[in-house]
Amino acid sequence: MSKRIPISVTVNGETYEEYVQPRKLLVDFLREDLRLTGTHVGCEHGICGSCTILMNDEAVRSCLMFAVQANGTELRTVEGLSKQGKLHPLQEAFQEQFGLQCGFCTPGFLMTACDLLEHGQDYTEEEIRVALSGNLCRCTGYQSIVESVQVAAEKIRKG
Amino acid sequence: MKPVSFDYFAPTTVNEAVALLEEHGDDAKILAGGQSLVPMMNFRLVRPTCLVDINQIRDLAYIHEKDDRLHIGAITRHRDLETSTLVQQCNGLLFEGVQLIGHTAIRTRGTVGGSIIHADPTAELPAILAALDGEVRLIGPKGQRTISWRDLFVTFFTTVIEPVEICDEIIIPKLPSSAGWAFEEFTRRHGDFAVAGVAAVIVTDNNDRCTDARLAITGTAPTPIRATQAESFLVGKSLTQTTLEEAGRLVSTEVEPESDVHATANYRQHLAGALTTRALQRAVERCLSRKDQREK
Amino acid sequence: MKLQVEHVFQVSRDVLWQVLHDQTRMADWIPGCEKLEEIEPDRFAATMKIGVGAIKGTYKGTVQIAEKQEPSQYTLAVEGSAAPGFVRGKALMKLHVEDANVTRLVIDADAQVGGLIASVGQRFVSGIAKQLTRELLANIEQSLRSKPEATA
Repeated sequence: MSKRIPISVTVNGETYEEYVQPRKLLVDFLREDLRLTGTHVGCEHGICGSCTILMNDEAVRSCLMFAVQANGTELRTVEGLSKQGKLHPLQEAFQEQFGLQCGFCTPGFLMTACDLLEHGQDYTEEEIRVALSGNLCRCTGYQSIVESVQVAAEKIRKG
Repeated sequence: MKPVSFDYFAPTTVNEAVALLEEHGDDAKILAGGQSLVPMMNFRLVRPTCLVDINQIRDLAYIHEKDDRLHIGAITRHRDLETSTLVQQCNGLLFEGVQLIGHTAIRTRGTVGGSIIHADPTAELPAILAALDGEVRLIGPKGQRTISWRDLFVTFFTTVIEPVEICDEIIIPKLPSSAGWAFEEFTRRHGDFAVAGVAAVIVTDNNDRCTDARLAITGTAPTPIRATQAESFLVGKSLTQTTLEEAGRLVSTEVEPESDVHATANYRQHLAGALTTRALQRAVERCLSRKDQREK
Repeated sequence: MKLQVEHVFQVSRDVLWQVLHDQTRMADWIPGCEKLEEIEPDRFAATMKIGVGAIKGTYKGTVQIAEKQEPSQYTLAVEGSAAPGFVRGKALMKLHVEDANVTRLVIDADAQVGGLIASVGQRFVSGIAKQLTRELLANIEQSLRSKPEATA
């Protein structure tokens, strides 16, 4: 049994100091140790995107990282999108445009879209589709998700 | 499933990393981006008892220009390449190809060194390295060695790297201003492993005749290959549509792919040819438009 | 999964047959073979380290020679299991005379791969299979070259 390693990680602005086994995946650390269950486990091999979170403002697959690797980093999960009860423009847009049904893939899509829209808001539909192609949805057929991201981009652009 | 237990080390220098590999031998595995390794560990296909995480070796993340080459540190992320104006200016093929790797989240973590040493037969970077006659630098207890892509790739997922060595740098030439390039690949969905892919580079003279042609094919062999017959055919010729189609046809006869669950051998041969023609068309267009811009 | 390979060896058919059935040499050419012990005539317990890249496993199993029609053909059955999965293969080995000192070996194999490697490692399976056949033929060549005299 390998010894536990101390890590310090900031998630949604709050800093946590914990001990983790090296084999603990970041997604499991978030869900089990920090009780932030908004991030989901789908395929465990990086394809479905439901584990996507932001690390230092960039989208990463938390199922393909070990918790120890997040030491000293700033993470953002879906729980951190709304501020003081006010929904993030992406969350508003998904709500308005019916961008979700069962909601399992939604946190992953939100964080991927968050990375996308924080680095620009002027995208064609094709560019949005390509950017979202790493997230799988079994319910919606994607059209409403694409529209949600387009509406969110507009909201963010208008400020 | 979750990975099997392992001892974890995060060295901050290359020497430390090499010493750890020496100490733990066959049981140790380098963790770079983890985008290929961790899925295998999650499935327990790979069960290292010791992981040497090289992501803390800050010295290995860089993109430097020196003379006519680009020197890229092994843990430079794909995402760093796709957002680098230096890469965009110096090597458009690399700039275009890296954007085809997986998805954004994969590119945030995946590394240049990791991808090349993983040597997936359908990967983009090994093909780009082949097209550009790039090199790789390996460091081990006996010192460092720089080897060309031809000597690096052995077969599927296998390079000549020793268990006690790590890759610390990739070296690729800058593309001349008279060059055009393109990377064409076929995937069932965007971001999937390629069924086949072609990296093309064309250089022409003032009379629009081809003076150099590079065609590297991925997905049709255990390693990336150069379609030398088609390349020699193109040199000295005017790059008309007929010529490009003939080059594509030559590639389709030159490659010897196998059938598998994703495609038959015949289909891969056809793909290699069709993608070659498409890649060459875009490479030629680029070449001509860059020439027009220079002449303005 | 079916595999067919052939290779021409620069030895007479009798010599090739002898080498392939020489128990002191079998461990040399069976790919990744670390240990080979006879259980009964023509049946051996084997430990083979096989894999490609990072996907390596130490397979414990058996090697069985059967249906011998000396010197023209026989079957070779290999079975092994390890952490990444199991492999079961049976190959018909045919030796064709091309010339006095030239023999063509034709291997017609049928293999089943199961366990982890088959369910999630499909991408690696064909690579491993090809690697094994390549190693097998190269090893036999090597064995022939290092000890060219056939043992009785």
